[in-house]
Amino acid sequence: RAGYYEQAGALRDMVQNHILQLLSLVAMEPPRSLDAEVVRDEKLEVVRSLRPIDGEAVDNQVVRAQYTAGFNLGSPAPAYRDEKGVDKASRTETYVALQVFIDNWRWAGVPFFLRTGKRLPKRASEISIHLKDIPPILFNSDPAGRLDPNVLSIRIQPDEGFALTINSKIPGPRVRIYPVKMDFRYGSTFGNISPEAYERLLLDVMAGDPTLFMRRDAVEAAWRWVMPILDRWAERQDATVPPYAAGEWGPPEANAMIESTGRRWRNV
Amino acid sequence: MTDRLSRASSPAGIDDDLAVLWRDASRDGPVARALMANLVVYRDCPATEQIDLAAPVTQVPVDEVACRHPSRVIVLHHGGQPDLCAPMGASVCILLSGPPTARFGVEQIAVRSACAEASLPSIVRRLALGDIPTSVWWTEDVSRSTPLEALVTLGRQLVYDSRHWNDVRRGVLALAPVIGHRHAPDLADLNWRRLTPMRQALTQALAPPLGPIDARAVRLRVRHRPGDGALAWLLIGWFTSRLDWSDADLPATVEEHAEEDAVLSVSIGAPEATHITATMNGHHVRVEYEGGLAPFAIATLHETDADAVAAELRNLTYDTALRDALAALARRVISSGSP
Repeated sequence: RAGYYEQAGALRDMVQNHILQLLSLVAMEPPRSLDAEVVRDEKLEVVRSLRPIDGEAVDNQVVRAQYTAGFNLGSPAPAYRDEKGVDKASRTETYVALQVFIDNWRWAGVPFFLRTGKRLPKRASEISIHLKDIPPILFNSDPAGRLDPNVLSIRIQPDEGFALTINSKIPGPRVRIYPVKMDFRYGSTFGNISPEAYERLLLDVMAGDPTLFMRRDAVEAAWRWVMPILDRWAERQDATVPPYAAGEWGPPEANAMIESTGRRWRNV
Repeated sequence: MTDRLSRASSPAGIDDDLAVLWRDASRDGPVARALMANLVVYRDCPATEQIDLAAPVTQVPVDEVACRHPSRVIVLHHGGQPDLCAPMGASVCILLSGPPTARFGVEQIAVRSACAEASLPSIVRRLALGDIPTSVWWTEDVSRSTPLEALVTLGRQLVYDSRHWNDVRRGVLALAPVIGHRHAPDLADLNWRRLTPMRQALTQALAPPLGPIDARAVRLRVRHRPGDGALAWLLIGWFTSRLDWSDADLPATVEEHAEEDAVLSVSIGAPEATHITATMNGHHVRVEYEGGLAPFAIATLHETDADAVAAELRNLTYDTALRDALAALARRVISSGSP
């Protein structure tokens, strides 16, 4: 797939379609029914409400990168440019991270952080919802031991399910806090193996259910939002595409982007 | 009672093989998956050594720790032979514990690697689960097997035992880069933990109404049992950091003794101050004053190494006293060469 990917990159390959779909599902308003068009209308509203990222904002809110040689579960992994079919001078991004905002009443001011990449330590698709941080008093007052916020994480794949990570007091006379994880897994609870993604879609095609498919207007809205980022990158041919080693979670620039907001990436 | 279900695996098949084990484990009834933390256990393993990855680690109480503080355990058996460029093998295991009506299981993954050390973090990143703390337990003698910075800084906590240090000086120097790292983990030294009752006793002994201690005038004589040199020097580091002794001046002597049952004894003298002696054996720390003040004793910790490691994993606090003591010792080693 190198031929295709060289022309596409992570932003086109994953963000414009899959990631924006997931974002829409998380941020959409509850539909008035499960009718396909009603659901797709609500999803479209999210995409239309995305704050545009263009011009210099791209430099601040979007990080792209390309993997270099590293290790995959202990075994050496080659650099992207050394993969078969890839130009030795390729500038194609194999990783992209974004900070996005949805400008509507519900989500105003709430940052959404998206990231996708090849040769990351794990193959996984997850959504994590970080609850609001508590004030630095009571249990969160010690600067040396600040508590992470509670997190609701939704595992799309593998091992579908969701988990709630909260801070709990360790039993005993002293006040000591420890993060605990309550975990639900479809596989071990219901005993069935979930269908693969394309199994489900093929079934929907046969059943004539378009709910999970992107409607033309949603595709166009997604492209309208993505294009200014691609345009900015095209303008900035002089800009370096930061590297990250295969087997790492991304470049330092992506860490810097999220850490500048007082947060950090959650590793799955 | 603990049961152990294990299965040979491969680096690529770990998740699938664990799923098979969970199904096997729940054949006779529900088993809860217990998970508080990731625990990375590092073991030196020369490439020529034959080991059974499915067998429990016997040299350190890994299984006992995992059951006391339920953790996904990732055992890295590593021996440097960089021309072998892939993990040599893996196995997975589920430890089942608890009463029949409330069985729980913890996962254990063992990986044998002879690759470059730089590859080890990629194994941990792949196998560690998110949203829970990760601790690295360096089971080897830090003074002989320097903790790999890239590995230990992946975790929130580094657990080790300086009692095993063959060379205190080298052990202190090996930890210095870890302490100074931008993403320095919390340190948990089991030997520092053993020193807790002595530190508590001395803090109490030196508190008012004995009067404020003039740090410049204090003189220490520390005597330790053979093999407990690191304990003595940790105590020196603690005094150095608390009393702000200079790197060049050490108003203390450290001696090894082989008599009595004392693990550690400290004599503290200062002009115009009461002479104090604190002696720690296997049961208590006894503090005696010269001049008639009533002595007192503090009980020592009675715990196994498994209890100690599990307690540290549960603790997760930033031990500034240990860090300061090690930093003080490191400065002393660099400036004066002692210990």
